[in-house]
Amino acid sequence: MLSIVPTFAWLEGLAWTTALRESPFGYPLIETSHVACIVLFAGLVIMMDLRLVGLAFTNAPLAQIQRRLFPWQMATFVPSTATGILLFCVDPLRYYRNVFFLAKLVLLALAGLNALAFHLKTYRSEGWDEDPQVTATAWLAGAASLLLWSVTIVASRLIPNDWFK
Amino acid sequence: MSQAFRDSTYLFPVTQALHILAVTVFVGAIVIGDLRLLGWGPVGQSRASIARSAQRILFWAGLAVLVTGIPQFTTNALTYQRSWLFVFKMYLLAAALLFTATVRHRVAVADEGRLASWVPRVVGAVSLALWMCVTISGRLITYYG
Repeated sequence: MLSIVPTFAWLEGLAWTTALRESPFGYPLIETSHVACIVLFAGLVIMMDLRLVGLAFTNAPLAQIQRRLFPWQMATFVPSTATGILLFCVDPLRYYRNVFFLAKLVLLALAGLNALAFHLKTYRSEGWDEDPQVTATAWLAGAASLLLWSVTIVASRLIPNDWFK
Repeated sequence: MSQAFRDSTYLFPVTQALHILAVTVFVGAIVIGDLRLLGWGPVGQSRASIARSAQRILFWAGLAVLVTGIPQFTTNALTYQRSWLFVFKMYLLAAALLFTATVRHRVAVADEGRLASWVPRVVGAVSLALWMCVTISGRLITYYG
């Protein structure tokens, strides 16, 4: 069977990934940037989710909150992803079989699909933003997003623990 | 309690994970207010309305941050006490809390016409910078503490 391990081994052996892994500042600085970007990104996503489920900012129209937060969510999503990919490249063999890392990938895919469905469907449907009452599907999208991102963050922080080797 | 945290394999890491989750929610509620103060957030709403709604989130998320943060400290209190980054983070935290409860709160709930337009902008920028520095220094304790 074709294995991806040699590719990861090659990636790990590259001069620049080795340099970053062995430098006392390389990995910590990328990792800290990753966390700083995620806190901003997920923090704003969660604010939108809390609005969707009706727990906060309920006197602001949904679409208005969404429209004003979306550019900031995107602006922090891009560096979050870039630093995340970089972190993986620096130490691929350490991560690719880690349970929490794999769970994180699955959760990210689910959160992404949920966000995509919300943006393509609910968000574009006629007059959804004028209704002061959040539609049931929008509520569900918010609750799902809240759950998925919370679990993603917890799983991510657990990656350094090799509990299930 | 500290002994239980030292003995268990799972308790400490799970507390760390819940701590960063609580921090994320807390910072989210700060940032939505700061963006509004900067004039970039949900400007259709008044600064006061956003601040009031965010306040409840700040209270509950802040409580969760403390509940998950304090056991981390007491478990290794002597190590943390010697960590310059931890001490630095605590001073930053005190400054950020003080600034948020006084200046930022006053500006957020003030009549919008009464303040020069640069005032909320500066306050929003300072608040954002302070809270991000608290978050970043907290993360760095793991590496350089």
